[in-house]
Parts: sequence; structure tokens; C-alpha cells
Amino acid sequence: MNRLHHLKTSKVHPGERRTLRYRGREVAGLEGDTVATALYAGGVRVFSRSLKYHRPRGLYSLDGESGNTLMAVDGVPNVSAEITPLRAGMRVEPQNVKGTPEFDVMGFMDGLSWAMPAGFYYRMFHKPAAIWPRVIPQLRRTAGLGTLKPDFEMPGRFEEVYLKTDVCVIGGGPAGMLAALAAADRGLRVILLESRPWLGGFFEYREHPYADGSSLHDRSADLERQLESRPNLRIMKHAPVVAVYPTLQVTAFQRGADSASFDERYPEIQAQSIVVATGCIERPLLFENNERPGVMQPSCAHRLARTWGILAGERAVFSVGNDLGIEAALDLANLGMGIACVTDVREDGQAPQLLDELSSRSIPFMRGWVPVKAHGCRSVKAVTLSPVNGIRQKKVECDLLAASAGLTPSTGALSLAGARFSYDSLTGFFLPSTLPDGVHAAGRLLGLQDARAIEISGTEAGLRAAGDCGMDVAETLRTLADEQSTLPGPVRNPKLVMGPVKGSKTFLCFDEDTTIKNVSQSMEMGFDVPELIKRFTAAGTGPSQGAVPGHNLALFVGQSHESPDTEPRPTTVRPPLHPIHLATYAGAGHGMSKCTPVHALQAAAGGRMEKVGVWSRARRFSDEKSAHDEILNVRQNVGILDGSTLGKFRIHGPDACKALQRVYVGDMSRIREGRIKYSAMCNEDGCLMDDGVVVKRGENDYFFTSSTARAGSTIEWIRYHTRYDGWDYHLVNLTDAFGVINVSGPNARKVLQKVTDFDLCNESFPFAAYREIEVGGSIPARAMRLGFVGELSYELHVPSSYMESAWMLVEEAGCEYGMKPFGLEAQNVLRMEKGHVIIGSESEQRTTLHDLGMGFLWHRNKPDARTVGAAALIHTEHQEDRLKLVGFKMQPPADRPPKDGSIIVDGVIRGYVCTARLSPALGEVVGMALVDEPLSGIGTEWSIYEDECQGKLLGAVVAPMPFYDPEGLRMKM
Amino acid sequence: MSLNITCPICGKRNGYEFRYGGEDRGPRPEEATLTPEAWCRYVHMNRSVAGVQREWWVHRDGCGLWFSIDRDTRINVQVMAPSTDGQEGDR
Repeated sequence: MNRLHHLKTSKVHPGERRTLRYRGREVAGLEGDTVATALYAGGVRVFSRSLKYHRPRGLYSLDGESGNTLMAVDGVPNVSAEITPLRAGMRVEPQNVKGTPEFDVMGFMDGLSWAMPAGFYYRMFHKPAAIWPRVIPQLRRTAGLGTLKPDFEMPGRFEEVYLKTDVCVIGGGPAGMLAALAAADRGLRVILLESRPWLGGFFEYREHPYADGSSLHDRSADLERQLESRPNLRIMKHAPVVAVYPTLQVTAFQRGADSASFDERYPEIQAQSIVVATGCIERPLLFENNERPGVMQPSCAHRLARTWGILAGERAVFSVGNDLGIEAALDLANLGMGIACVTDVREDGQAPQLLDELSSRSIPFMRGWVPVKAHGCRSVKAVTLSPVNGIRQKKVECDLLAASAGLTPSTGALSLAGARFSYDSLTGFFLPSTLPDGVHAAGRLLGLQDARAIEISGTEAGLRAAGDCGMDVAETLRTLADEQSTLPGPVRNPKLVMGPVKGSKTFLCFDEDTTIKNVSQSMEMGFDVPELIKRFTAAGTGPSQGAVPGHNLALFVGQSHESPDTEPRPTTVRPPLHPIHLATYAGAGHGMSKCTPVHALQAAAGGRMEKVGVWSRARRFSDEKSAHDEILNVRQNVGILDGSTLGKFRIHGPDACKALQRVYVGDMSRIREGRIKYSAMCNEDGCLMDDGVVVKRGENDYFFTSSTARAGSTIEWIRYHTRYDGWDYHLVNLTDAFGVINVSGPNARKVLQKVTDFDLCNESFPFAAYREIEVGGSIPARAMRLGFVGELSYELHVPSSYMESAWMLVEEAGCEYGMKPFGLEAQNVLRMEKGHVIIGSESEQRTTLHDLGMGFLWHRNKPDARTVGAAALIHTEHQEDRLKLVGFKMQPPADRPPKDGSIIVDGVIRGYVCTARLSPALGEVVGMALVDEPLSGIGTEWSIYEDECQGKLLGAVVAPMPFYDPEGLRMKM
Repeated sequence: MSLNITCPICGKRNGYEFRYGGEDRGPRPEEATLTPEAWCRYVHMNRSVAGVQREWWVHRDGCGLWFSIDRDTRINVQVMAPSTDGQEGDR
């Protein structure tokens, strides 16, 4: 197609070809095209097939008001081609067709529409129940939108931004631009959101004269220049609003230009005041085959020519409802389109100069006429016209039918902000009757049509928004009101939305294939108000968020039926106003993790670093998955572990002990200085949340640890459970302030003694003791002698800044003993051999302290502490039918462990395997499982079912824990 | 879902900075006389009012304070004082 290249309003660059692939063939578009305009220029007229009836659908709108142009682009389904910028090399495929969009095998469905009345799905899909499992997959194949491969990965760069501003203006048309200017000129911070990739709204593409003799296009460009010169005004183009909340928060979905740092972005804007200037969309005219390819909005035809240089047809019929439509017909005639005739649903009220121009160009003009039927199979060939009263008919041949019943205000954003609407009989609009505080409306959605009146309403709204932000604007507002009173106010719009038709092929909602006949059927069945009709017929619930049926449904019902709703009311609007990808909500997903102070040393030593929770940790130090050698080296010699991820805290103050008593199940009132108290925290249900050690460093001054996973929430937890008490204590999170070096194994003492003067013998530093020592003569370390992996073991808490030095000192000392680092895998197996649980692995949400066999930690004689979980521990202590944690071995012995999570069966499911590993120290498989209490006795035999075991069960027997060194002698060596 | 919360220390902030701590059910009951039913009521049962409810929040990504606010659950807006109609939101 030859484009019109000479237009000032054009957004395409004639020299810049961009080629896409559509159904295997190349279609050449231009830089600045959307996918839809490129396809249209390339001759494509049928873009998709409709949801239920597989009717052909074409380009109808340009702002995503209909789902007609939903296509699969680069593997992403349901992409609205009319709002998606063309990029070179795009692969575009039609959706919901068997064959091609032009020749769809499923096209016969349209002939069966009589068999699919309103509420078809609800009324048919129950009896007989037996057939539906077979039928539903067939229906799914014929009805629907695009398909997504389960392994599809969404390409692109995604971002989220959270912004605060004084004023947020929604809509970058003339009213929105002036509102933004008015607020910005008061020194306020302003964000302007515009859904199209450029500003200007309905000024931008029109050469119609503006008040001072220049064109509206020039005016729009001039305003844009002014806006761009304001440093306190941020313009976000191509950013349709997704939602507005009563807290004056606005969210949007922004597409990035080629030069931007993102492809798609989710801005969330907190404003003090909001101006909504979203303007109008065309109000669809209802007639038979009103969605046939070749039928489009007059503004769509107009913008195709003015913005993209495309003449949408050679012989067009225009059926309009306002002067904008006549202007479009005249402008297109000037650009070379043949106009067969212009009909206007209005009997009068047209601007005289427009009528003069029509007659000077000999274009027939028919007042009070409307189309009743579009003819043509795959695209419009002719249209039957009739006066509104239906008394006569006339058939006119054409290849384009630009049809509209006037305008419908875009009230979605205003509605979400909390505005209420009432029907206005002059404009035929739903106009805001009450606006919440901080929300202002401006421009065409108020029914204004005069360019200057729209601009002043914008300035007014911007000033009111400035008033919300504390500016004194009363005087200026009075002057503006005077000027506005001299200008034309809201204009009359046609009320009629439908020609004289029966309506079985008259579509109220294109997305869901809802005809006005369906609406009548719904009314007959008692679903007689728009909210119910919407749900029963699905009108307005499709991907374009109800833009086409939006107000027409309520108006049609109000005019043509006896609805209990005496006043027409729009149906409730809910977010999202505009579809947004989940990938965009998900954002960039930066892979961030915390590193311990000796991260670099660990990595240099061959640590296989993995993200575990918020941390990057060494899983193992060789490729051997079982970490066999690391484990044996700890058991037989000595190993060193980076335990810096442990939660570490200080609590001090007069009520510190009370707070510890509240959250720990043990008795924290009798911790001797220099001793370690091991205890646990439960939740209110008596389930284990955390375990750790507490040491007393002074009067009312404690140092305690939590598990790695709980490091971030322990302070919140303690404060929550003491929130009513008003206790005087202070909590400090020392997790990042201290690193932890754990040295474990029979030779641990020998290694450590080389780096400290403190006597580490059993007498001066016994098991379960806490000492403050110095490493390397000067590095302070809080040393604990713990069981941990069941060997002689020292844990050194060292200030983070000293960690590398301390680590290297210990490592050097360990050289002569063959000390090796060990990682998380080895730690877990070592601890499992000792029967230590990992919370969340050996316990689940219902597992109490008793179930884990750790009830001995609970000190029951402190009711005054009102310990968290104590009540539940009392009630569940002797409860029956609980899952209990037990140890098991394989019987007969097996050379490999069952998979974690395997199910324990005894005719029925009786429990599951939590963890099982081949124990290097014991040379056999050991594991822990949660099982029904009757199966928990030592020596009880089970069968274990593994996924995909094909009936071959494994055998196991309950074994006492700990598996390794049950007397606990080795850690006291 | 949009929500702004006024922290007594840090002032009005985005709701994402806070974590919900449940309805305000009053101080912990005495352990000695607590029946399982009363315990369950205190721990698990919510009133879930459609209207203004008093509830706990923690300023997790801020000062760490636990405090209670009144929120109108119908419009998800913090309100200054309990009111029956819930329309006077503090925004």
C-alpha cells in the first residue's frame, strides 16, 4: 500500500522499513507502525476469529477498545496488535483459528449461534454429567483465545518504580496537558500519564483550526513543548492506567521506547491529588454485523490516515453521531478517500460549515439515518441504511463503514478513584455526580467539545489539584470560571445507540460474542439489571475490559427494556483497566543475596556457592554430591565451617528476662553466667519455630542465637508477643555484626589452642560453656562449646571486620592436622546422624514440640510468663492421632536412601520421609520420618512408597535416635 | 492493593513497608485458667468485620515498631478514630 507521506501529523518514517513475519510471509511496515497498522497496510483485513462463533474480526479501534486484534506475537498470546509497536523481525500469528483467519474451518459455528443462547455454559454444562469430561476439551479447542506453552519463558526487561508526587494527571490530551501545566507552574511535582506513545489526545492528529488560526495539531505540539520544558513535570508516555485507588494511588503499565532501560514497567504512584482527563472513546453503533471487518470507528479511519498514512478504504460510508465524524469524513475525502455518503443519527445540531463543505464536495448527507446491516462475508461489501424509524431502506456499496453513535466518556479511572455517576440526558453521558476529595475531572469526559473550553477545564482541574497541595488558587479559579462561562458548555449527544434491527447478529460485546438478542434472552430469564446481565452473558468481561459494551449495555437496557433500574447506571469498574503482564508485575527479579564476611575465602577454597534463603552459602567443597569426604574428615579429624548466617542478637534492659521467658519454652530465669542455655521458640500452636542458644553476659544482658531462617524475623516476633506489656528492654540484631567460625572434630581443640592463649581444656572450658577469648592475641571472640555436629566443637563469634583475619589464623593452624572446610550439605548430614531436626524439613505446620520428641525443652512451671505456645503444649501433650518424628533404617539394608518426601504406607498413607541419607560414619542409610503415632515404636516395620517405584516398595524399621554416638560422649571429649 | 499507614514514629508510609499482625484481641489470656476453646478463640478466631476494625501492624521496613491502627476494611483506608460510617478516611 502506498502511504500518505506528506502529512505533518504522521508518526511513521517512510524510509525506515520494519519487516514482520505473519503466517510465514513477510509483511513490510514502517518505523512508527503498530503491528496492526503494518498488517493493515500489508493487506490483512481479517485479524482474528471471535471467541464463540468464529466470526471474522478486523481492525475496529486503535487503542485496544476491542479484542479484535488479539494475536500471538513472538510466542506471547493475546497481544493486542493495535497497541503494540512494530519491531523488526516480529513473528505474528493469528489466534483461535483452524486454518486461516480468512478461511476458518470453525466458521460454521456462526451458523450454530441459535444453539448457544445467553448463559449457554451455565445452563447446559451440568446434565448429563457423564458427557462433559469428553465435551469440554473439544469446546476448549474451539472457543477461546491464544495458547501458551507451559515452558514458555517471557522475554523482556521488566521494571517497577514507586513514585511519590504532588499531582498525578491521568490523560495527556489537551485537558490533561493544561492541568499538568497549571499544577507544575505552581512549583508542584507533577506526573502525567498518557496511554498512547505521544501526547495530544484528540488534538494531536487533527488539522482542524484552533482558536488562533493554527491547527489543533500545532497547538498540541506547542503544549507538548511547554510541558517538556518543566523540570518538575514527569511525562510517562505509552503508560495506560491500570488502577486508581481511594488512597490516591495510581498504577500503570508502561511500555519502554527502544532507547529505554526497560521493555515494560509497572509504575505505582502515590499522589496528593489526581486529575482525571481520560477523554472519550467512540460509542459503538448497534446494527447487524456491526463487527464485520471493514467496520471501524470513524476516528480509527481518521487516525489511520493522519497518523499512519493509511487510507483504510476506497469507498467509504460514514455513519456518525457527532461533528467529529463529519470532520473525519471530510478530511479523508480531502486526502483522497472516496466517500459514498455520510449519515448522521442526529436530525440536527451539525455545524453549518461542515454541512456546507459536504455539499460543496457533493457528498450525500443523510440526517437521522443509520446502518441496519453490513453485508459481505469476510469484509464489508455494502451496507443497508435506513432512517431511524426503519420506514425505508437503501443499500450502498462500500469497502469501509465508519460507524459511531457519538462518544462515550472513559470513566474507568474516575470510577475507581471513588467518583459516583449519574446519567445526564443532555450529553447522554454518565457524568460524575460526586468526586472524592483530591480527585478532579477535566476535559471531554465532562461532555465538553469546544477546544478552548476543554483547555480551561484542564487548567481549572490542575489548579484545584494545586489547591489540594496547599496552594492558594481561589482568585485564579474565579477568573477562569468567568472565561469558561463565555464558552460553549457540554454538548448534546445522540441517545440512540441502535438502528431498527432484530439483533441476532448485532454485537454489544465483541470480545465475548454477546448480541443484543442475548441480552433480551437474559432479561426474559430474570437477569434484568446490567450487573446481572453482564455476568450471565459475559458482556464486558473480555480482554479489552469492557470498552466496547461498557456504557452501551446499561443504555441499551435502559432504553429498550423494563428494567428495575429506572435510571441507567454503568456497571461496576474494577482493576485492571488495562491488561498487564504478570511478568511486569513480577519486575526485574534481581538475584540478590547476602554474603558472609568470609564469602571470598570460601569461594577461593572451592566452595560451591548456592543461594539459600537470603544468603549465598557454600553447599560443598567438591563436586561429590554426598560431601562424603568432608563428613568423614569432621568425624575422624577436624573441619571448619562458616556459620555466619546464624541469627545473633543482644537483648538488654530491666525486662529482658521477662521477654525471653515469653518466647522461649525453657526457663530462662536461671541461666548461669558462663553457661549456654539451649532452648526453643514455639508459635501459639506449640509448633517449633526456632531453636538456639542463650548466654548471659551480664545483669539483664543476654546474647542469643536463632536459626539462619529466623534471623530476619526474631526481633519482630519478640516485640509482637510482648506488645501489650510495655516492658522496658532493647533488642539489637547482631547477625551482620558478627561472623561465626565453627571448628568441629576430634582435633578441634588442638587446632584452636594454637591460636589462643586461653586454656581450652575440659576443666577451664567444659562442654556447654561460654567463654570470651582472644584469637591471635588481639581478636575478641565469643566462644561457645556446643554439640552441633556431635563432635568436639567450638563456635567462635567474631566481629565481622575481624572475620577474615580470624578465619585465616584458624585455617593456618589447622594445616598440620589436615583441617578442611565443610559446607551446608555436610553439616546437614552430620546433624541428621545426631538426630537434630531442621525446622521446615523435619517439621511442618502441625508438628508440635512434643511430636518432635523435644518436649523436654518445655518448662511447664512458669505460667506467669504466659509463654507463647505453652497453652497449646499443655493441650497437645497427650493428644492422640498425631504424626511423630522418628528415626529409621532400611530393612533389608539398602545401598541408597529413599527420596525425601516418599510416603510411608500400610494399606493407607501413614506418614512421609522427611530426610534420608547414606550415613558415611555409620555406613548405612538413616533417615527421619513423620509417622502416625502407632507406627512410631522402636522396631516397627514400614513400607515406603517412592514416586514412580512401580509397586516396588522399600522396607524400613524404626530405629532409636541419635543414630551416631547415642551417649553423646564424643562432644565432651 | 493500595494502603497507606501512618507509623507513630516514621509518619505516613506505603503499606508495603508494614506487616499485618492480626486483629486487636487484647492482652494474652491467663494461662492457668485457659480452656482449649478459649485459647482457640484468642489465637485463631477472627471477627472479620466489614467496617472499622482495630488491628496490629509492624513497621517492618522501617523502625520496627508494633502499633495498632483503625482501618476501614471496606475501602482499605486507615481511619483516625473508630467511626460507624467509616467514610472519613485519613488519606
